Amino acid sequence: MTAFERPDPERDRPGAAADLAACLRLVARGDADAFDAVYDQVTASVFGVVRRVVRDPAQSEEVTQDVLLEVWRNAAKFDPGRGSATAWVMTLAHRRAVDRVRSVQKESERERRTAAADIPFDEVAEAVESSLERERVRRCLGSLTELQRESVTLAYYGGYTYGQVASLLGVPGGTIKTRMRDALIRLRDCLGVAQ
Amino acid sequence: MRDRHAHTLAGPYAMDAISAPDRARFERHLAGCEECAREIASLHEATARLATAAAVTPPPALKARVMAAAAATRQRPPEPEPEAAVRTWRGRPARRGRLVLAAGAAAAAAAVAAAVVFGVSNGGMRDQLSRAQASSQQVAAVLTARDATMMTGAVRGGGMVTIVMSHSMHELVFTAAALHALPASRGYELWLIGPDGDRAVLMLPPARHDMTGPVVASGLHPGDHLVLTAEPASGPARPTGRPSGSMMLDIVL
Repeated sequence: MTAFERPDPERDRPGAAADLAACLRLVARGDADAFDAVYDQVTASVFGVVRRVVRDPAQSEEVTQDVLLEVWRNAAKFDPGRGSATAWVMTLAHRRAVDRVRSVQKESERERRTAAADIPFDEVAEAVESSLERERVRRCLGSLTELQRESVTLAYYGGYTYGQVASLLGVPGGTIKTRMRDALIRLRDCLGVAQ
Repeated sequence: MRDRHAHTLAGPYAMDAISAPDRARFERHLAGCEECAREIASLHEATARLATAAAVTPPPALKARVMAAAAATRQRPPEPEPEAAVRTWRGRPARRGRLVLAAGAAAAAAAVAAAVVFGVSNGGMRDQLSRAQASSQQVAAVLTARDATMMTGAVRGGGMVTIVMSHSMHELVFTAAALHALPASRGYELWLIGPDGDRAVLMLPPARHDMTGPVVASGLHPGDHLVLTAEPASGPARPTGRPSGSMMLDIVL
C-alpha cells in the first residue's frame, strides 16, 4: 500500500474532491484523523445548507451533527462509482434537513420562523470562504428562467415540496416538476459537474 | 427512461421536494432504470454545488461535540455478515413480544367491503409493465439473498402477512393474504419505524384475488419496526410523515 498524504482542506476543488473520497475510505476503517479532515472539508457546506432549510440555529447544529455522524457511521457505503464524495455528503445533509422540517416542526411554527428569520442569499454569501465557487453558482442560477430559479430556490433552500412550490408560485404542479428537472440539468451543464 | 410518468419526478426527487411515499415510489423506479439513476447522480452533483455555495462556518464548539460523538459511535461494517435463517411465527404464539398485534379497532370498525383503488398507477400499461419488471427483479434479489429471513404473522382485523427480509440489502419483500377490505377513501400503508425516524415506505397496491403484493420496501435497518396502518388513500401531501391510522401489524425486524 502506498503512503497516504493527509489531505489539505484548503486545496482547490478538483484535488479536494478526490481527497475527500480518499478520506472517506479511511474513515470507513475507523480513522479518526481522516474524519477530522472530512469535518474540516464539508462542515461549512453542510451547516450552510442545513441552516438555509431548517432556519433555527440550534436545530441546524443538531442536524449538522447528525449528518456528520451519519458520514462517520456509513462511510463504507460511499461508492465513488455513483458520484462524487461531495455530492454524497450534501445529498445526505439536504435530505436530513428536509426530513427534520417536515417531521418535527409543525407547518405553522415553521412559517413563523421563516418569516422571522429569513436569510437573504447575499447575507449568507458574506460568510462563505469559497467565493469562486459561490460566484459560479450565482452566475449559473442567473442563467435560469425566473420560474426555474424560483422553483430551485424554494425547493432546495426553502425545503418545500414541489406541490408547495406550485401553490406558492401559482403554477400547476406538473409544470413545476418539469421546470425543476430542466433547471437542474441547466445548472449541471453550466457548472460543468456532469459525470 | 421508459417510465415517463414516474420520471417527471426526477427534478423534485433530486431536491428532496417530494413527499415520503412519492420518494419511495421514485426510488423503486430508479432501481429498475440504470439511465435514470445516472441522471439523478448527475443532478445531485449540481445540487451539491447549491449546498457548497451556501456554506457558513459553524460555531467552533460543534467540532468537539461531533468528534466526541463519533468516538462513541460504532460504525456500520461495509458488508454485514450473511447468515441464512428461516424464522417463522405461523401457527405459534408471539414470542418475547417480537410480533405484536396492536389493537386496530377504529380501522377494523371502519372497514367495509369495498374495492380499494388508490395510489401507484398514474400511467399506461407500459408504465405498469416496466414497474412490474423492476419489482420482480428486486423481489428475486431479496428472496435469494444469503441472509434472507422469513417471518409470518396475523394482521389485526383479518389477513396474514409474510415478509422476507435481507439486512445486507436493507430491503424486505412484503406480501399479504386476505387483508380486510377498506373503504375506497382509505388504504393500507407500510412504515418502517426505528432510530432513523418514521419512514412511510409505500401504500400497498389493491389486492388481487385476495393477495396483496409482493412489494419491496427499501431502507431497512436492524431493529426497525415494520408497521401496517390504514391511512387516508388520497393525499401525497401528508406533512407530518407519521402514521396517523391505528397499527394493524407491528413486527420487530
